[in-house]
Amino acid sequence: MRDLAQRLLAYEVGVGKNSEPIESPTLRVYEKLRQSLGTSVGVAGFYSLASRALVLARPEVPSLHGMQISEDGALHGLGEIETEIDRKNDRAGEGGIILIARLLGLLRLFLGEALTLSLLRNAWPCEVFDDRDSGNGRKA
Amino acid sequence: MSTQEKVNINKLPTGVPGLDEIVGGGLPEFSFNIIAGAPGSGKTTLAHQFVFANATVERPALYFTVLGESTIKMLRYQQQYTFFDSSKLPDSIRFINLSQIVLEKDLGAVLEEITKEVEKTNPAVVVVDSFRTMVRKQESSMDLQSFIQRLALFLASWQATTFLIGEYAEEELRDNPIFTVADGLFWMRQTAERNSIVRKLQVIKLRGQNSVPGLHTFRITDAGVQAFSRTFGLTARKRNPPNDRRLSFGIAELDKMHGGGVREGDSVLITGASGTGKSVLATQFIAEGISHGESGIVAVFEERPEAYAERAASLGLDLETPLKDGKLAILYLRPLDLSVDETMQSILDAVQKIGAKRLVIDSLAGFEMALSPGFRADFRESLYRMIFALTGIGVTILSTVEVEESFTEFPFSTYSISFLADDIIRLRYVSIDGQLRKIMVVIKMRGGNHAKDIREYEITSKGMVILGKRLTEFQGLISGIPVYSNRSDRKEDPAHEPEIGNK
Repeated sequence: MRDLAQRLLAYEVGVGKNSEPIESPTLRVYEKLRQSLGTSVGVAGFYSLASRALVLARPEVPSLHGMQISEDGALHGLGEIETEIDRKNDRAGEGGIILIARLLGLLRLFLGEALTLSLLRNAWPCEVFDDRDSGNGRKA
Repeated sequence: MSTQEKVNINKLPTGVPGLDEIVGGGLPEFSFNIIAGAPGSGKTTLAHQFVFANATVERPALYFTVLGESTIKMLRYQQQYTFFDSSKLPDSIRFINLSQIVLEKDLGAVLEEITKEVEKTNPAVVVVDSFRTMVRKQESSMDLQSFIQRLALFLASWQATTFLIGEYAEEELRDNPIFTVADGLFWMRQTAERNSIVRKLQVIKLRGQNSVPGLHTFRITDAGVQAFSRTFGLTARKRNPPNDRRLSFGIAELDKMHGGGVREGDSVLITGASGTGKSVLATQFIAEGISHGESGIVAVFEERPEAYAERAASLGLDLETPLKDGKLAILYLRPLDLSVDETMQSILDAVQKIGAKRLVIDSLAGFEMALSPGFRADFRESLYRMIFALTGIGVTILSTVEVEESFTEFPFSTYSISFLADDIIRLRYVSIDGQLRKIMVVIKMRGGNHAKDIREYEITSKGMVILGKRLTEFQGLISGIPVYSNRSDRKEDPAHEPEIGNK
């Protein structure tokens, strides 16, 4: 799932260069997931998944301890963990990659790869998922 | 208004095998339906099958989930079914969670949200699962009635076929406005009977078309819900006109006793004690048909198909070749947990698949034992429906049934199923000269004359062989313990032909 997370983040980097205001690609990916999945699984459903993903990601990236997820599923504290260099270069930090990967990993765990990708296709163009050489999300 | 001006109601496939037949060819387009039943009865699965069968990118399905099973879990479990096609999400099928609105707002807000999504998506199918949890909040009955009517009107106007799913008890059928507004009401029940689960579906109401009344068995398998119509899917087929074509049993003397053979489309019952040769006769009947190009089905419950074919081979009857050629199917049905309708559907599917003209059920006792205990009470009724349906399309059925040998009475069957049979052949043991010999008699032949002769027969390496003499030298043959009569004419004419008289 790390590969897929990186592809989604890389896509958002490209989109972010043309958009204002400048947001972290991690936040853009997270918000798209929140919007897309929130519709189908509900606010509470998304909150549960995101909270669990954060708990799973924290041991790998200790700085994620500063992040929180509110009951409406919004992510808080991302700015504090992304480095100045990341922000300057509009790239996702390791914490963002891990968090998104864990969230996608949970989706795959519960729904399977095919259905997870189907749901994500609603939020990103198909080409983001077509790069089979990148593992198509298989390398979690 | 002439019939030409009547509106044509399109029928949508339900995606549930057997259900289209039950609802009269498909679900009426734009109908507003309720699927009711206890938790675990298959309501959500049925709705999913309908959604996956009908949703397209152009006319998608909106699946609103409310409080209850989480969407993640629902998708996790539902995708295990073979009908679940992940690629249809989210373009053709969209899941929308309304829990937050239901928890925080009122029914008006729920209607507003549904309206917004419907106007945005233009769906062909809308499902609200579970509708019951949505209206459990303490709204006044007027609010609820108004909400349901507005929802039904709106969705019909937007040309959506709708399902509301709810956990309802049957006593709630009265006084609940939702059941009044609904065009279709499907009730799914599951009850535990002894060690088995019995699932039944009833179409309590369906506006605009005739559905098959009554309780229909259904099963939930890897493929989802499968329903078994009480009419076995044969209601649409015309009954064949009666004809007098005779089919050979493969035993020339027995054909003569029937005036030339069994009438095509008859149901024949072979009754007798264990070892009297019922299965041998049945095997000869099926093999004779195959030799004349008539495909056949043998439903066995007491021995495996290989053993059945081997036993036939020991009688000089080749069943292996027609099995390979697809002209014969031997069904081994003894799962012990099947419903009678389900078992019969297996037989019907096989009959229709190979275009069988002859069917052997060997035996009815084994058939009954193969059923889940909860379904045995329905056995005779279901058997009647199957025999009526199959003989109506020209299939000739030969069933065997074991009777306990009695030396004080002469029962035709222990099942009280003689009324199911057009023809009855009774086999029995008799004690003669220190030997246990076998006799047969044609008890009944509906719509035709048959011999009244009591004939002795033997089971040989060539099958059942009827010996050349009518047994005139005995009295009390059917008691099983005959005595020699004192008649002077007891010596039989070697050239005797069976007497065919009136019934």
